[in-house]
Amino acid sequence: MSLLDIFDPKAAPKPIGIDLGTTNSLVAHVVDGKPRCIADCDGDALVPSVVHYGKHDLIIVGKEAARLAATHPQETIVSVKRFVGRGADDPETRRLGPYRFAEPKDEADGKVIKFEVHERTVNPVEVSAEILKALKKNAEGELRSVGGAVITVPAYFDDAQRQATKDAGRLAGLEVLRLLNEPTAAALAYGLDSKKSGTFAVYDLGGGTFDITILNLDDGVFQVRSTGGDSALGGDDMDRALAEVLLSEMGFPEGVDRSPEIVRIAIDAARQTKHALTDREIVEVELPAKGGKTVSVRVTREQFDALIRPIVERTGPACRRALKDAGLKPKELDGVILVGGSTRVPSVRAFVQSIFGQEPLGDIDPDQVVALGAAVQADLLAGEGNADDVLLLDVLPLSLGIETMGGVAEKILPRNTTIPAGAKQTFTTYADNQTGFEIHVVQGERELAADCRSLARFTLRGIPPMPAGLARLEVSFDVDADGLLNVYAKEIKTGIEQTVEVKPSYGLDDEQIEDMLLDALDHGEEDLAARRLAEQRVEAQRMLMATRQGLDADGDLLNVVERAHVMAAVDQLAASVEGSSVAAIESGIANLDGLTKGWAGRRMDRAIAKAIGGKGVDDVAKTVEGAGGIEAHLGTEGEK
Amino acid sequence: MDPFATLDIEPRFDLDLKSVEGRHLDLSRALHPDRFVGRPASERRLALSKAIEVNEAWRAVRDPIRRAEALLGRMGIETGETSSAKADPELLMEMMEQREALAETRMERDPARLATLTAAMEEREEKVLGALNQALATTDPGAARDALPHLAELRFVRRFLEEASAVEDELL
Repeated sequence: MSLLDIFDPKAAPKPIGIDLGTTNSLVAHVVDGKPRCIADCDGDALVPSVVHYGKHDLIIVGKEAARLAATHPQETIVSVKRFVGRGADDPETRRLGPYRFAEPKDEADGKVIKFEVHERTVNPVEVSAEILKALKKNAEGELRSVGGAVITVPAYFDDAQRQATKDAGRLAGLEVLRLLNEPTAAALAYGLDSKKSGTFAVYDLGGGTFDITILNLDDGVFQVRSTGGDSALGGDDMDRALAEVLLSEMGFPEGVDRSPEIVRIAIDAARQTKHALTDREIVEVELPAKGGKTVSVRVTREQFDALIRPIVERTGPACRRALKDAGLKPKELDGVILVGGSTRVPSVRAFVQSIFGQEPLGDIDPDQVVALGAAVQADLLAGEGNADDVLLLDVLPLSLGIETMGGVAEKILPRNTTIPAGAKQTFTTYADNQTGFEIHVVQGERELAADCRSLARFTLRGIPPMPAGLARLEVSFDVDADGLLNVYAKEIKTGIEQTVEVKPSYGLDDEQIEDMLLDALDHGEEDLAARRLAEQRVEAQRMLMATRQGLDADGDLLNVVERAHVMAAVDQLAASVEGSSVAAIESGIANLDGLTKGWAGRRMDRAIAKAIGGKGVDDVAKTVEGAGGIEAHLGTEGEK
Repeated sequence: MDPFATLDIEPRFDLDLKSVEGRHLDLSRALHPDRFVGRPASERRLALSKAIEVNEAWRAVRDPIRRAEALLGRMGIETGETSSAKADPELLMEMMEQREALAETRMERDPARLATLTAAMEEREEKVLGALNQALATTDPGAARDALPHLAELRFVRRFLEEASAVEDELL
């Protein structure tokens, strides 16, 4: 089963970077210090992000699927990225397109979009996973064994869209090392290659998403200053605008009944016309017309530019706001980097030039640069490259807020906060003996929670019964380096940790993901058990290696008693890894984890002291003598 | 959390932000989650919480209001918005007028007037920051209390500037 390939001991697994694009996707890896895209068996690196669902569970991805789109428009999903992390009621489902969307059975069912293909339904996470599987297969053809993967996402993707992308990676059997923002990936590839430093704007207009990112490049530090965009704006919108014109010429103006086939033909013809207009002033296209006739339509670049002007201009406010948030004037930028296929459109280039007052840099392949940057990052994260030389500091693209009384969104983390980031808020109960509490988290810049994007409702449970207003709940909102939100809570007076139940407003919950994983595996339960064992073994090996390295480097931070306990736990865990009991490995990990907690803290303090110039390093060593961490841990163990 | 302690920097209001930024980068190099991929889960969690703490501390000392609050907090002076000294009625009145003017520019979509209002308020911010800096150049809690009215004024000024910035966003 492919899910176990990550642990194939025969070939050393190689890290990969994936650009999961709206129109095309790519996979890349680093060879001899240089990132390179991996081609499929025909020698093409670009894999169209198209998935065709045939009869008898047949699934086709890429070029072949793109060819089938014209004849099987409803069973062939194009630009699935536009639907990722969105609910069944999303406006995206009402735009021009050939699909059949499943009617949600209930409220919970409406949290994800579902496409009807033949007798089954598929959601965007499953469709995206098929694209990822195809890329993984291409990579395996060249690297034999694929290790962890960095998958890129638009910087402006919200929490639900990021989570859905990560879920797709998991479903495709990939270990997702990091979700990396596309403009940051592009800057990484460009910056490391050109060895330039300064402040740059990355204008990334893809098939379905738009990002603008302003960042500093300085001696291996890539620091994002501000970001903005629109996760439903791109080349697809240009295609649809032109497709409407073509449909009218074909005798199917708006309001007339159009078949899915006709819609697909018009959209595909529009896309080809758009491409042709990059180098030509006039393009003529032959199209099937109403009544079985053929019609020839002539499109000039001027017409096309006028048609797409409103779309291109929609990128303007985000650019101006990003500059303002970074505290910069256009002329203070050292360069403008263009990313995404849609930046090939001449009027887009002209618009970018007018906004930033300078000609964009032209020496970058806008299709490949994101995948190349992802490969560089994957290489660094897997410990292959020289990680000490590079630091990526990215930001939260949209403000995080919580809904307060009266429906106002109170911002707890503003947009453009460096991640990982965290905010703490204290709440109190409003009824006597209240044991639960609900917090609604939203993302966006608007004043009212209802106008922002709803992320999730977090229910805290297990608050100790107290009179109203006495319980004090400290809730931590942490955003990790993937830009994903995690919520923790504890009652301050009692110190009791609350269980936090997450109800995502859009997307799939853990149980649904688990079910999809079970479905995806050939032998369901059996394979999942094997996978769990493999995962626990990997974690145990990590733990053993980290502990042994720690003993070598920071053994002096353990006293004699602690060292003896740690050594015993290491031996016990090493023995359980040889066996096949998941429970034994888990308890071995937990035991070693508990015994090394205090030591891990001291090691971290030493690393911090070292990072800021050696000051205080000796102080850390001194604390060993007075350390009671391990005895305390053993003590609580004994009481149980 | 004391952001000065987290970043291991001298607690003072007139910080050299450039050098504190360097400190933030040094700490980020050591603690960023990218450095802990492939490490045991517990180590990743520990590093993540430290990295968040460092980013939070940097965010706090960069913001003059939070920097002043942290300094006063170290001296045991409560600075919560509710506990700070009663605002000067004159200041309250003036700020109300300023915000009305801002509401008008929003209605009229008048970027020129918005720029004038913002510039005047930014000038005032400079003055308040100067006064706050002077008041906080002490380690004596009694004397440091003099900073409280300036802090209250700075809050009003900052809130106005934030709202002005939001209006500017709308007019972009």
